[in-house]
Parts: sequence; structure tokens; C-alpha cells
Amino acid sequence: MSKKNKENTAPATEEIHLDIPEDEIWTYQVPGLAAPHINKPYKNFTLKKIIFTLVILVAVSLSMYFSVRTVQRETFEYKQTETGYQLEKFSNTGYITELEINSVSEVVYDRENEDVTSNFEVVGDETKPVESIGPYALNCDGTVKVIKIGANVKEIDSKSFYSCWALERFEVDGNNPNYCDVDGVLYSKDMKTVINYPCNHDQYLREKYGYEAEQFRADATEQYIKDIQTYVVPSTVETLGETALAYTNIRVLYLPEGLKVCDKLSVFKLHEPKDAYGNTPSLDNIYSYKSAEPVTDTHFTDESALGEVYLSLPEGLEIIESDAFSYNQELQYLYIPASVKHIGHHAFWDCIYKQDGELKGVSVINAAADEEAFKAVEQGDQWRPQYDYLLFKKNVEVTYGAQRAE
Amino acid sequence: MSNPVAGLAGKAKWLFTEIKTHWNTPAEGKYVPYKEYKDVVLAVGSNYTGSKVLEYVGFWATCYLIMYHYKLPYLTFSVIGILNMPLGYISALIWWLVCDNLGFMPKKTEKKIYLVYGLMMLFGISTILFDYSLLFNQASPFITYLNGLEGLSATACFKTFGTHFLYTGWVGARNIFWRKKLVPKYGRYKYSLYCDVVPKCIMVILVGWLPVYNIPDVATRVWVANLMFATYNVFGFANNMETCTKSISPNLQERILVRSYPVKLSHIFHSVLSIFLPAIIGALRHGWADINMYRFVIPITFIASAAFTMYFAGRIQERIPQPPVEKKAQIKFWDGMFGVLKNKYLLINTVVGLIDSLGNGMLPLATILYLFTFRLEGLPYSLIVALISFAGTPPDFLSPYFLKRFSYKQIMIFYQVTRGLGNLIIALAMWFTGENLMLCGTICVVVLFFMEMTKTVPTTAGHDMNVRIGDYQMYLSGERLESFAGVFGWFTGPITSFVGLIIPLLLLKYGYNSNMEVLFIDSARRNIIVIPILVDVIGFFLMTIPYLFWDYDSKKQNMVMEVLKRRAEVTEKQAKEEGIAASGGYLG
Repeated sequence: MSKKNKENTAPATEEIHLDIPEDEIWTYQVPGLAAPHINKPYKNFTLKKIIFTLVILVAVSLSMYFSVRTVQRETFEYKQTETGYQLEKFSNTGYITELEINSVSEVVYDRENEDVTSNFEVVGDETKPVESIGPYALNCDGTVKVIKIGANVKEIDSKSFYSCWALERFEVDGNNPNYCDVDGVLYSKDMKTVINYPCNHDQYLREKYGYEAEQFRADATEQYIKDIQTYVVPSTVETLGETALAYTNIRVLYLPEGLKVCDKLSVFKLHEPKDAYGNTPSLDNIYSYKSAEPVTDTHFTDESALGEVYLSLPEGLEIIESDAFSYNQELQYLYIPASVKHIGHHAFWDCIYKQDGELKGVSVINAAADEEAFKAVEQGDQWRPQYDYLLFKKNVEVTYGAQRAE
Repeated sequence: MSNPVAGLAGKAKWLFTEIKTHWNTPAEGKYVPYKEYKDVVLAVGSNYTGSKVLEYVGFWATCYLIMYHYKLPYLTFSVIGILNMPLGYISALIWWLVCDNLGFMPKKTEKKIYLVYGLMMLFGISTILFDYSLLFNQASPFITYLNGLEGLSATACFKTFGTHFLYTGWVGARNIFWRKKLVPKYGRYKYSLYCDVVPKCIMVILVGWLPVYNIPDVATRVWVANLMFATYNVFGFANNMETCTKSISPNLQERILVRSYPVKLSHIFHSVLSIFLPAIIGALRHGWADINMYRFVIPITFIASAAFTMYFAGRIQERIPQPPVEKKAQIKFWDGMFGVLKNKYLLINTVVGLIDSLGNGMLPLATILYLFTFRLEGLPYSLIVALISFAGTPPDFLSPYFLKRFSYKQIMIFYQVTRGLGNLIIALAMWFTGENLMLCGTICVVVLFFMEMTKTVPTTAGHDMNVRIGDYQMYLSGERLESFAGVFGWFTGPITSFVGLIIPLLLLKYGYNSNMEVLFIDSARRNIIVIPILVDVIGFFLMTIPYLFWDYDSKKQNMVMEVLKRRAEVTEKQAKEEGIAASGGYLG
């Protein structure tokens, strides 16, 4: 240890006695330290006080300025690209319920109108086309109900509209070269990929099919479930995009045989209101269908319209990405066809729970492949659901070489 | 060569006799009897546990109640911070004056301050009862700007603004009232437990049971939740008993001994609880997202801890050599301001804090790792948390040795360098092995374990450095000026708020907002965690520089303590000669 360090670590218990006269207790200066200043007025400090006050005022003003900058958001933020613009971020003014994305836009207010819900207009600049929508451009928006996508938009990130809670439907311009909508759901133009099924699509469907109010889970009629909570994925679809159906309230899902990829979080945490106070998982069953005729109507009428229907993930499915079906505790049955080559981590996480000592949800995974063949499947960590077992968690068992349920 | 077993037995025998002899009265040159060591274990243990339980409850984005039930936008918390900022600056000046005078001010000043606080409360209540935004043109730029703020509306902004007035007035008035009543009896650090504990228990219950999170409109939900949490925050339950132990003895060695053994041992209560609590929560159907966690688990645990705390609190004493309250130095505004500016060591701490702000706005790495990478809950969660927490315990028992062997300067530089390296390894692991959960997770947990191991001695050193800074300030100004020291934060404010702009914007860009489940997306999680960590790593290495200027050694500290003791001795003698009732003093 150096001499200097030894000085720094002088024994804390070292006996020190200072002989301080009574009249010097407030002024006595310890060698090597500054002198005390106690019970003495700060005379001749006027200049220092002024400087101090000014510095403080400047510092406080700058702090407030930078802090305000932190939260100040432009309604629309764009990034210029080589050929046009990308919508980077949309921050709602609080009252924009319909959003058109086609050209660089701004909000113009009518100062004469005092009604905050209608005193503005979103004005687009036709000379500045928006060609792409970036990831998380609309993130957790709770106000926008309709998104209109214009003909200029050529690229939409799969996470562009992440958890837009109020979003009921998309409307895509018929001239758009890359995207289209069917009954308010966003697809790639060739109908091979589901891009986004809006979180609040059920509201749109209720209005369409004449339901006045939302029906809570236990009270939902069979017809309500068919009309509002059943989604028939068109037969052309090969990919459920990343987060495509996440957070919707679908209860029954029909997937086409031909679907190859369920991307990350594609069927993540589907849920619906249990009562006026809380939500509960919604997805009950996943069916697959094989139809000789193309199926384009996403509204469920009858199973016979879909051809051969079976309770399983579709034959031909190859990739189940991470978290694809996680947090669906009401899902009752799971059958993994032999075609699956990759299962991402946490693909079926939290699809089971224990209630009154009884396992509910996916309590067994049925795999078509035998154990040897299944080993060839790329398996991510913790892809199987786990349930409480003693004080730890236990994986749900896989039944290899299982027969599909009738 | 002596027999090691016999030597050990001899030491044990000596220790037993020492404890038995000085169970009720301390040894010569010491101040704390061993009986009080036992009480420290129980009092700090229960208080620390209670305060840790309260970390599950708060008006911030990562609180499970906010995350899973209130679902408020991330940026809303920053907006509320800004709305509260102007009043915060003004009220801080009054607050500092009151606190650093321990609540004892000239009658005239006290009346004026009470009046200000009363008016603040009235204004606050009026904003909650009436909608002040209606006084403005609804199409004006001001109102449209407020309506556009994330998660708020003009109405909600005014109510939030008013809530802060109500909160400031209420807390301020209570601060004077209770300090005057309780500080002379219970001391400056633990008095607040006595006036806050009952209302705090009630508020903990209400926060879980009031269904404010069911309000459908987000702006209304924000201001009502803000009001509820402001009321909750009026009553504190901090780790007061541990703070008290920082001043448990004027003897530096004894102080470190108390903080290294009984205080560390007391944390075992929390360690045990942190195994059981998540296991209990994990048994709920929705785990961390289950509202019953806030309705039953948290209130029951907290109330039990609070009851034990109050039972043992009276047995711990703070022993700062100080004049009686009646003869203490009166701190005027400029005394406070210039007093703290003279303290060179506060300046060093300020520069360190300033550099540390590079990580402001970061999300808690360990929580994200456990919840979103590993999806841990229940006992496995508890065990991994306990394992990592435990890593710090053995080195902490050796704190007295390390603090003797190495200078504070060396310890703190070592600390910052290990932090920097550890975080760098975590960032690299997450970036390159992010999708391989087991590999990435294992690397992170091992690094966290080593970081925890190397953290506890510097933490003890840091606490002692702060106590020494307080002692030095008392020598300089006649009071500890712990509140006025806040003015350093005003000077560094522009830089910290500028730096604080960076990480939240990055987080928003990578998808982080009111829905934390975006962290289940691998790419989002990687960006949200790694980029801020890299910014923070730079800070850790830079933070070594200010510590090079730390030269406040034990010799200087001992001399300062002698001065403080002499002042206490002389002033108490003077008080007795003048026939003044002397209270709250301590001779040392």
C-alpha cells in the first residue's frame, strides 16, 4: 500500500483530543478542512447572491425546457427516404379517430370552433408521398378507430400498429400495389399474409351484425360467437404475420391447410371481457380446414362451407415462431402436425393453469410425429407450457405419435 | 505454533464474555450496548422488509399494478413530472428551510409558511372539484397542446397540476407540525414512522381495493390515479431505522461494525420474504398480473412488517453529537445555500451523480431478464433473486476489513470499473446470444452474481462517506443541511434533463410504451435493454474520475467529531446555566 493510501485509511479509532476554548466552538478550524461559518451573517455577499440566483434561474429554466422537449411530440413524425417518406411515429392529439396514411400530413385547427372533437383537420401534402410505415409507428394508441392506407404506401412493418386498442378496421385504397383489406383486416395484396387483425375489430363486427352491446364471456350466445368472435383465415394465407392477431378477442380460429408460418406473437394473448371489471383469455379452439374451393369470406357461417374441418393446427404448417400462441389459457386442445419443423421459444407459454388442484387449458401436447422424428424439430427454450408442480413448474407432457381428435 | 482450534475457542469465549459484560452498558469508548445490536436486527429487519414490500406499489411505469391494471402510457409519467416541476422548485425552498431547522423556526416565519401551505391545499382541492380548463377557449393552442399530451387531456392536466398543490401543502404542513412534536423525542430520522404508519397502512389497502383502474377513459384514469397515489405518498414508510443506524454512534469503527453485522443480518427477514412472496404471488392464477396480489398479499405483508417495526423502533437511538434543539444553530436561507456550496465532498458526489444520470430512464435490467426473458414467477423467481441477493452477503461481513485495508477512493473506483465491465458483458451477451435464452440468461445471471458480490463493500463505503459528508457539513454550518444539499441537483438539472431526453426517446423508438409486453418481442427487448446499457457503461467508467479528488480521511473525520462533541458539551452547559429546558441534544 502506498504511503498516501495509508494516510487515507488511518485507523478510525485513533484517539484525538482537541483543546477547543468555549468561545471558539463555532469557529474552530480543523487543519486541512475549510473554516466553519455558523451564526454569522453573509455580509458583502451581494454579488455572490446575485450570481447564485442568476445561475439557479438559468439552470432551472434550461431543466424545464429540456424536460418539456422530452414529452413534446409532433403528431406526425416522418423520415425522408430516397423515394419518399416513412411514417416514423404518430402521436394522437387525443381526438383523431380516423387516420389516413398516404402523404405527409399535419393537423390544422379551426380556432373558431370550440368543440375539441371536431375543431381540427388532418391535411396531407400530396407532393410528399408516404411510402412506408415504420415499426411501432402507432404504439398503444387508444383513440384511432379506422386507419386508411393510401395507394402510395408500399411497405408496412409487421409491428407498425402494435396494440392499438381502439382500432376497429383498416381501409386500404384499391390501387395500393402491396396491401389490401378484407372486411377491415389488413392483408398483403396477394392475400398470403395476414398483417393485422385490429384489436377492437369486434366493435366493427358488432355494428355490422347489429349487436348493440358487447356480450361477456359466460353470457355470449352461440350466434354472437359465430358472428363476432370467430375468424376464418382465408384459404390463400400462408403466413400469420408478427403480432397479427395479438390481443384480439377471437374465440374460435379457423386456419387454412396451406398455412406455413405462424410468426412471432401472431396469436398472442387473445382476451375478452369477463365482466364489467376485468378480462379473461378468449381463445377456445383452433380448427383447420381443407377446402377444394377458395375461402375468402372471413365470417363464419357453417363448417360445411369450409370443407374438411379438424381440431388441430393445420397440416403443412412448418414454422411456429416464439410466443406464437402464448398466454391463451382457455385453449383446450393442441395437436402439432408432423409437418412442423421449428417451434420458437415460449411458443405455447402459459396456455395452462391450475384451479382447485385441477389442470385447465393445454394439459397435454399431442404431436403427430413419433419421439424420434420430433427430435428433428428445432425447439426453442421453454416452448411447452408449464404448470405449478409442488413449489416449482413442470412442463406439460408431449404425447408422441398421437392421433388427431375427431 | 499455537493450536488454531484452541485459538478459535478462546476468541469465542472472549466474544461471549464481551457480549455478556456489555449487554446493557457499552464498553469504554463505545456507545452502543449489545442489546441494542439485537434490537437493530429486529427493528431494521422489519422496517426494511416493510419498505421493500412497498416497492411493489407506486405511481411509476414498472409497478405491476400500473403495468397490468392501469396500463398508462410510459410518457405520461414524464408529462406529470413536468407539470409538477415548477411548483416543485418553489416548494423545495420552503421545505429545505423547514427540514434543516428540524421544524423549529421563528414563530412569525412558521405562521407565514403555514399560510402558504394552507392556500396551496385550498387551490388544490378547488382544481379537483372544478374543471379549470373550461375557463379557456377550447380551440386555443394552449388547450389543444394539453389535449395532445400523451395520456392526458386539458381537464386532466389541470387536475394533476392541482393535485400537486394539494399534496405539497398537505405534506409541508404535516412536516412542520410533526417535526416539532416528535423530533425532540424520537430524533430526526425515525420520528416520521410514528405519525405515518397508521394512515400508510390504510392507503396500502385502498390502493389495492379502489377500482380506479376500471375507469375507461385514460385521461380520467391518469388524474384519479395520480390523486390516489399522491395521497398514498403523503404518508411515508421509508427505511428509517437503517438510516438511524448510520448515526448510531459517534465512534466510526463502531458505526461500521453495526452496519456490517446487525444491519446486514437484519436483511435476512427480507431475504426470506423475497423467497416466499413471489412464490405466493406465483400461486395466484395470473401471477404478477393478478389483482389479488394488491388486495391481499401486499397489504397483509406490509401491515405485519409495520407492526413489528413500531414495536422495536423505540429501542434504537441516534447519537449525533449535537446541541439541544433550543441552542442549535438557526439556518437562514443563505446559510443553507452557501453552507452546502462550501462542502467540497458534496460537490464530488454531485459530479458522480451527474455522470450517473447517463443511465436515467433505463428499465430495470434484472426484472426484465427474470420476467420477460426467463418468464420466471413463483419459487424459481424467488430462488434466483435470493441467489443473486445472497452473493453480496459474505463480502459484506468482511466490510470492516476492506474498509480498513483500502481507501474509500480505491473502493469506489473499483466499484465503478466492475459495474462498467459487468454491464458491458451483459450487453454483449444480449446482443449476440439474445434468442438463445439459456445461454444468454446464464451469462447474465453469472455476471449479475459477480456484480452483486462486488457491490456490497462499496455500498457500505458509500453510506459511510455520506454520513461523513453530513458530519463535515455539521462542522461547517452547525447543521447537516441534508435538504439544502438538494440545490446541487438544480445546478445539474439542465444536464440531467438533457441526458434524460435520450433514453426515453430510444425506448419509444424501439416500441416501449404503456404495453410492457412488447418486451416479449426479442428484437424489441434487445434494443430496449442493450442500447441504454451501453450508454450507462460509458458513465460507469467516467465516474471513476471524481473519486480521485476524495481526500477526507479518518483522521479528519475524528477531528470533526471532536469539534461536534465539544459544541454539544458547551451549548448544553450554557443552556443549563441559562435555565433553558434543553431537549434533543446528544453529547457523544
